[in-house]
Formats: sequence, C-alpha cells, structure tokens
Amino acid sequence: MAVAATISQRKRIKRKAPRGFLRRVFKRQKPHLRLEATCDLLVHLNCLLFIRRLAEEARTDACKTKCGIIKDQHVLAAAKVMLKKSRG
Amino acid sequence: MADSDISDNEPTTRTLLRRVLDTEAPRTPRRRQSTRAGVQRTPLGTPFSMRLRSQTKTTAGRQPHRARSIGRLAHIQTRGQLKEQTPRTLLENILLTAPESSMVMPESAVKPVPAPQVVQFSRRESSPGSLELQLPELNAPTTLAPGRLTSGRRKKRLRLSEFQQGMDQGLPLSQGPVTEPPGNTGASSLSSSLNLTFATPLLPQSVQRPGLARRPPTRRAVDVGIFLQDLQDTSVATALPGDRTPVATLPTDTVLEDTQPFSQPLIGRSPSVHHSLPYPSLSAERTVSRRTRSSGPGLQNNSPGKPAQLLAGKAEEVDALAMGFPNTSSSTSGEDGVEPLLGGVGEEVEERMEESMSLSEVKEAAGAQASARAEEPEAHTEVAEAEGSWGAIEEKEPEGSSRDKDTEARPELASSTPEFPRARQLEFLEPAPPTSTAVGLFRQQFIPAPSLSSEPLEPLSARLPTRVQTARPRLRQDSYKMGLSHYAKLFSFYAKMPMEKKALEMVEKCLDKYFQRLCDDLDVFAAHAGRKTVRLEDLELLMRRQGLVTDRVSLHVLVEQHLPLEYRQLLIPCAFSGNTVFPAQ
Repeated sequence: MAVAATISQRKRIKRKAPRGFLRRVFKRQKPHLRLEATCDLLVHLNCLLFIRRLAEEARTDACKTKCGIIKDQHVLAAAKVMLKKSRG
Repeated sequence: MADSDISDNEPTTRTLLRRVLDTEAPRTPRRRQSTRAGVQRTPLGTPFSMRLRSQTKTTAGRQPHRARSIGRLAHIQTRGQLKEQTPRTLLENILLTAPESSMVMPESAVKPVPAPQVVQFSRRESSPGSLELQLPELNAPTTLAPGRLTSGRRKKRLRLSEFQQGMDQGLPLSQGPVTEPPGNTGASSLSSSLNLTFATPLLPQSVQRPGLARRPPTRRAVDVGIFLQDLQDTSVATALPGDRTPVATLPTDTVLEDTQPFSQPLIGRSPSVHHSLPYPSLSAERTVSRRTRSSGPGLQNNSPGKPAQLLAGKAEEVDALAMGFPNTSSSTSGEDGVEPLLGGVGEEVEERMEESMSLSEVKEAAGAQASARAEEPEAHTEVAEAEGSWGAIEEKEPEGSSRDKDTEARPELASSTPEFPRARQLEFLEPAPPTSTAVGLFRQQFIPAPSLSSEPLEPLSARLPTRVQTARPRLRQDSYKMGLSHYAKLFSFYAKMPMEKKALEMVEKCLDKYFQRLCDDLDVFAAHAGRKTVRLEDLELLMRRQGLVTDRVSLHVLVEQHLPLEYRQLLIPCAFSGNTVFPAQ
C-alpha cells in the first residue's frame, strides 16, 4: 500500500545492504541454519554499528599517537578492544 | 362482438365461459376464451375490472391512468390473454415494443391495442378465426405500429404500454402470415414476424454497445505475416528457448521437431534435415546472427575483428556444408572451426546455439568461461556431441590461441547447452543428422546413443574441469572480498581520516572474524530457543548483549538512525490506512 508508494519514489538506495552477500556468508558458515527474511537487514545494521565503533576506536588510537593517518596497528588495537566488547 | 352484459355484478370465469359458449358454439376452448375476451370488452362488474387492473398493474407496473383509459375491456382482454400468455410472449412483446411510451394515448389507439394482443395470443393458439373478429380493429394499430418501430429505441418505461406497443408491432406483421395458409402455426408466424421486428432493434443495440460488435477480420491476415516476420527476427536475434516454432521456412520443420521432447529417431529426422539443408540462406542468416551474438560475448575474449571473419567463414561453411575441419581450422578462430561442425550438424543446432547464445550471453559476459567449463562435465548429450566435435577440431587445430578460442567457443556452447532442458538435447540429437559425409560420421556418432559420443568426449571434458577448478575458488574469494571491501569503505568513511591500504586489509580481516563470531552467536541463540531458523529476536538479543541495545536505546531507534527508509519500513511495523499493519506480524 503506502509502502509500495513510498518505495517507488526513491528507487536507488544510497547505502544498500549487501543482502545476498550476507546470506551467502551465513549459509557458508552455518549451512544447517536458516536465516529469516528481514534478519539480514539487522545483520547489516549490526555490521554497520560494529564498523562505526571500530572506526571510532581506530581514530581515537591514531589521534592518541598523534598520527594523521590510520595505520594497521591502530586498527589492530581497536579491533582487539571491539571484538572483546562485541563478544555477546 | 356480442355484448352480453352480465346481469350480476360479479362475473366469474364460469359465467363468461358459458356466455361465450352460448354465443359462439363451434370454437375451440381457446378460441372461446379469446372470443370471450373479445366479448368481454363490455365493461363488467367493477370487481372484475379491478381485478384486471391489479393484474395489469402487477404485470405492467404503473399505469393506472392507462388501465382506466383502456377500460375493463382491455383489462379483461389482458386478463384473458394473461391466462394464455407465457413469460416468453411477454418478453417478446416487451422487446418488440418501442421504448417510447406516452402516458396519454388516444383511446382509439388504446382499445385496439389489446385487440392485437388478443389476436396474437389467439394466433399462437392457431386460431385464425378469432383474428377475424379483430381485423377491423387492427387497422388502427397498424398505423401506430410503424410509428413505434421508427420511433426512438429508448428504453421502455412502462411495461404495459410497451407491451401493447409490441402487440401493435407484432400484429401488423402477423397479419400477413395470418392471411397465409393457416397451416403455419401461430407461433411460427408470430416468431417470423417477431424476427422481423427483432432485426431493427438489434442493430441499434450493437451501435450503442460497440464492445459487442465484432472486429474486422482483415486484421488477421496481416498480423500473421508480420508475426512470422517478427518471429524470424526474434528467432535470429533473441530467440527464447520456447520460441522455436516461430522460425518460418526451414526452421519450421526442424524447430517444430525440436520442440517435441520425444521425437522420432534420427532416421526419420534426416529427411527433415535434408529438407532443411537446401535453405542455406536462412541458416546462413541465422548463423551469421548467431555469430554476431556469440561474437558479442566472445568479444571480451576475442578481438572484435574476428566476428566479421567468423561471419564470412560461417556463411561459406554453411553454404558449402563442408565439414572439413582443416578448412575451418585454417580459418580465423576456433569458433569458425566449431561453426562448420554446427552447420554440418544441422540448422537446428545452430538455432539452438543461437538461442543458447542469447541465453548464455549474460553468463558469458560474467566470465562464465570457468563456470561453463564446470558445467561441461555435466555429460549433456549435446555437450558431449559438441565437445566431441570441438575436440576433433581441437586436435586438428594448433593449441594455444586457437585452443583458447575453442575453449571460449566451447564453454559458450557448452554453457548454453546445459541450460536447455533435456528434451532439447534429445531433440538436438535426433534432428541432428547432417548431410555431408563428415557430418554424417558425426551423425552416426550421435544417432546411436549419446553415451558413444560422450566417450570420446570424456577425455576432453576431463581436461576442462582442471581449468575450471583453478578459476572457481578465485570467484568465491572475490565475491567474499568484494563484500568485505564494501564494509571497509564504510570504515574509511566513518573514520574521517586518511587510511593506509594495509589498515584496510586489517579491517577486512577483523570483519571476517566478526562475521564468524556473529554466526556462532546466532547459532547458539537459535539453538537455545529450540529453533533452526534465526529470527529477529535472536538478532535483538545479540545486540543487547553487545551493548548496542539498552533500556534507553531500543532496536527500533537504532534501525531508524542507521538504516535507509526502505529497510526501516521493512523492519519496523507501521500502521497504514484500512486497519493494516506492514510488515504483518
């Protein structure tokens, strides 16, 4: 109804979620499990939030070392912290 | 008419009948009734007329004025006629009557109206004698009838009036047949008269409703020709697998045969193929078009200059039906080498290749070489045959560049062939038999059994998978890497700082680990809930445990903040008009 009407207005989504990619990855990892219809969107949301936090962390690390460029060691350190946080 | 007034004010049917009998003896009971009706023109007791009035009202609707004007006479007549009347006659009269009906009708006209009604019914009863009584009265309505016919054909408003009008119309027409030999049943003559009246009203109906009018049939002839033309073009250009039949001349025979899943043995097919051979032009066209098509995807691999050569070579081959592989091999590319074989095999094959080409275009464009090779070992009979032929060509041709072309051509064809259903393969086999000797050899190979032809192909197919295997894992990694790089780009956006490439690679590694963890967690949550399907609740629990969703910040808030509108609408149930909620819960 209204959903279709609104979607037709804007056909090109700017930040598209790679739904196929996510589904494929999940299927490869857990072939015995099934993913619901809109769950991959939430997985995408989860990834976005994770990357956002990772980027923030990396940026903070780079700023701490007063580096103008984010280097892999910053990323690595940030990743360690983040993976610990998002252990679930 | 005998006006025998009834002494009593309440004339009953019985009394009326008795009166009629007294007056006129040699009459049929029906006639008697009609005559009685005619006799009863004289006003009878009020109750009788009132009864008639009510009856007429029920039948005709509103026409009190009319009833009164007509008088009991009409009522009586109608009543008497109503007895004999059937719904059919009523409807006929209604249809006949002109729509126009004036409330004010001269009594002179009104009075004769019932008379025609009486006449009509009496005629139905095949009683011309009764008509005689009312002949003098018909003269008046006759003048009215044509007027009714010619008057507008608007919808009737008052049933009774139309009914009477219809009677008027019917009566004058029926007069002729009445005078004719009385052998004709009243109904038949009446029907004939009715038919006459029907003629005129029907025409305006069709005019009023153009949808009912039939369309001109001339369109058909033209369409067929154009249709065939289009079909030919489509079969040449973008023929779908199911559009085999359209190809007109040569293709028709072969194509039709192709469409049959369980076609006759090749022997039976050979004549058709032979028959198809004398149409090299068409095949050449098709082959040329196919070459263009195949060259299109092949352009990625081959040089653009080849298609022209291929086309030329193909046309020559087709015309000559020369199965000489050396000839073809000497030609430009392996595709040419493949071409003669295909041409030898039959135009059907070519057609199929065309279609397959069209289908496999996208596939080839996507770098289907590897995938095609992967599909080759699927042991399709067609593939086997094609591969066998190609393999023969390959052996003769020098390897290297030609081999590449062969592989390209082969995968193209092979990939195309597997796409077709098994029936196609069977069709391919059966109508395959080529005419030339060399082709005949192949045909012999093909005809007996696909297995035989597949045997020589096995070594060839065995060769192909080795190449495929090397290419396949690359694709998988690529797609996975592509997905990860998609998120890595987002990382660089969120960081708002320049990044090194190594840092991006590190991000991708982290993402990989993150995905693995995510899947494990979801698995655990779903198993904990006793489910095998991961649901939204699992995701929400995961985010809660990660600390993203708190008592303050709900999942919906996060969705609204970070996802585009389209996804938001899919995830968050919203109420719409009509008491509906999307998405449905």
